[in-house]
Amino acid sequence: MTEQKMIPPNTLMAIGAVGGLVCVYLAYFLAPANPIFVFFGALGAVFAAVWGADAVRRIASYGLGTGVPSIGLLALGMGIIAVLFSLALDISAGAPIVAFIVSCAIGAIIGIISVKILGMTIPIMVSATTEIAGAGALLILGLGIVIAGSLDYAIFVKEVVTTGFIMLIYIAGGMAMLHPHNSNLGPDETQDRLLALSAEKAGIAVILAGFASVAGMGAIIVTVLIGLIIWYYFFSKYYDFVKRDAYKVVDTGLLPTEEEMQ
Amino acid sequence: MIDIVGLIAPNILWILAIVIGGTLISISVHFISVGGAPAAMAQATGIGTGTVMLAAGAGIAGIIAAGAVMDLNQDLGVVLGAGGVGAMVMLAATMIVGTWIYAYGVGVMPVSAKVKYDPITKYRQDLYVSQGTEGHGIPTVAFVSSLIGGLLGGFGAALAYYALMKVGTYAYAGVTPLAVHDLNLVGVVAAFTIGFFFINSVIPSYNIVGTIEGFHDPKFKRWPKAAVASFLASIPLGIVAVIAVGALALVGGL
Repeated sequence: MTEQKMIPPNTLMAIGAVGGLVCVYLAYFLAPANPIFVFFGALGAVFAAVWGADAVRRIASYGLGTGVPSIGLLALGMGIIAVLFSLALDISAGAPIVAFIVSCAIGAIIGIISVKILGMTIPIMVSATTEIAGAGALLILGLGIVIAGSLDYAIFVKEVVTTGFIMLIYIAGGMAMLHPHNSNLGPDETQDRLLALSAEKAGIAVILAGFASVAGMGAIIVTVLIGLIIWYYFFSKYYDFVKRDAYKVVDTGLLPTEEEMQ
Repeated sequence: MIDIVGLIAPNILWILAIVIGGTLISISVHFISVGGAPAAMAQATGIGTGTVMLAAGAGIAGIIAAGAVMDLNQDLGVVLGAGGVGAMVMLAATMIVGTWIYAYGVGVMPVSAKVKYDPITKYRQDLYVSQGTEGHGIPTVAFVSSLIGGLLGGFGAALAYYALMKVGTYAYAGVTPLAVHDLNLVGVVAAFTIGFFFINSVIPSYNIVGTIEGFHDPKFKRWPKAAVASFLASIPLGIVAVIAVGALALVGGL
């Protein structure tokens, strides 16, 4: 395997945290003017998913012993609790940043407990659980604002939680974070391939959230289109990376007919 | 900004109940016989999936059962019983169908590699373990152990659900209390309980490093560590949950 150029964790953290928060805020402030702008929330969710996938990649490469999905679902579990809590505080524009901070705090507490009490020996345990918790909260905020068109607690609960779309965000968003490492892990794992897969999965989550949106026909069309573009672009990119990293890609052809089996 | 102190003060008891629920969930994971990916290939004893998937599946089944019953009868014992039985039914169904597949599909017999004699049936185990495997299938002791795990996990999930519903339906000063049928309340409480359940089933699965056979497994002795860890982790989660659910009741629903 030739040396791959890696994106350093801090750059990705900056892109994910700052990009995610800025996009969620853009959606938050622009949506009242025109609901089409909720698509910024979708972009924020994609940034957060890519950041989270990289954090999962770093922590899970130490070998958790429990499978990669556990940590992805942990991230979204912490995110859900932090997001609903901060929206319930009724602090209007402060909610997204408070959700992010509370989620990071819960992540840090769980990381510290895992290291100190359960005696886990992974050196980046605390920082990585903090990161995935933050990414999980941003993912839920981003996709949630796409569905509800607002971050008002009453509207969010009615349109996202009571309708059950919260579980769609939970699993589809969790997929974007946990699936890339789960399917790419191994000695030939490369970061760019993994991140492309994460963005592709996030694209699918954006399409689904777009369909579920109540922010108006314009918002649905724009979000679904953006999701499709993200999905198509990163799927082709991922396929290119697969072809680059594989020794050889061969066509297996169709299933043999009954005569050929004889 | 909402009145946080006014929300927490009348609900201290329910925060404690949520914390106990989290600890029960954590202990329950140690009883459930999971083998992870090796078990899916019939190379380890237990159900062939991850701890988190299985515990969460059982927990969510418990939450659904508890939630359905809570709508009709708000007695704590009835809700807890429904949660425990719901989780046990889910696990039993998974295990019995899994056993059929191991026996008739894969062609292996249920056998434990951790003990020489099954503590319940007293059948000899070690002779029947295929070479190069850590046992396979779901032997009687693992089945019974998982049912105990389901019961505890269901109790934990139902207790957390019940506590949050009580927080939501409490009569705060100056507002009409919410009904247990309030869909928004049920939605928020269910979303919280599921997130809470996932967190509290990941912590013990780190403790057992992903696989365990049941209460006869040597790893089972580690449960106090996970119980302490979940107890501590549940305290901030319980406070946060009570504030979010209480906020819904404070404004008298949506």
